[in-house]
Amino acid sequence: MLRNDSQIATYVVDNATFLPEVVTLIAEGHTVTLPLRGHSMRPFLEDNRDKALLSEATDIREGDVVLAELSKGHFVLHRIVAIRFQNITLLGDGNLSKEYCLLDNVRAKAIGFYRKNSTKPDLTDGMKWRIYSWLWTHLFPIRRYLLFALYPHIPNRWKR
Amino acid sequence: MRKICGENIIVAEGIENVDFSKIISMNESSAYLWEHTQNSDFTVDDLCHLLLDEYEVDEKTAHADAEAVIDKWKEIGIIE
Repeated sequence: MLRNDSQIATYVVDNATFLPEVVTLIAEGHTVTLPLRGHSMRPFLEDNRDKALLSEATDIREGDVVLAELSKGHFVLHRIVAIRFQNITLLGDGNLSKEYCLLDNVRAKAIGFYRKNSTKPDLTDGMKWRIYSWLWTHLFPIRRYLLFALYPHIPNRWKR
Repeated sequence: MRKICGENIIVAEGIENVDFSKIISMNESSAYLWEHTQNSDFTVDDLCHLLLDEYEVDEKTAHADAEAVIDKWKEIGIIE
């Protein structure tokens, strides 16, 4: 009757289903550790390797990395590069194009990152994150070339 | 315990971190036992009775299953 089927398995759930549950947990006062997917927060955060520590979306400022719901069920974890009243401009560290949303669409704030299987997070108020953030955002004018140097690839716009 | 995306997930009470890189998910029968033993001390016999109440099993099977689930819960560190 009780099957001994307990095992370590990886469940992949799509963001549109899963992240609203995460948002609910955060609203209840939990913090949430979330494995990350995608390349849009390179070079600091790597796909399938790193995790984000998320907390409630309070005291949102430029430079924060936030979980934003750009449209219903479409979530990104990107850095805020500008705030004008209620209007938020987002840009993934590994991206070149911006996204826009309203302050109300910011669902959670990253307060730290677990990188390379570390058990201790690099907190966003820590020196390492702040130095990285300062450098990487100031290097934006040459980001296109840096990303290409770090991750050689054929840009999509050149593909046919 | 809460239902997240159709899975019975254990979430610690109070304001704590929920780590989705390592979560504990339970099947229906162990979720039932977990729900009915929360916040209390319990013995193999308690679980055995719970199983007998809910499922059509003989006492011997229920006892063995109760022991098995307790061993498993100890092993993964969700009970002491």
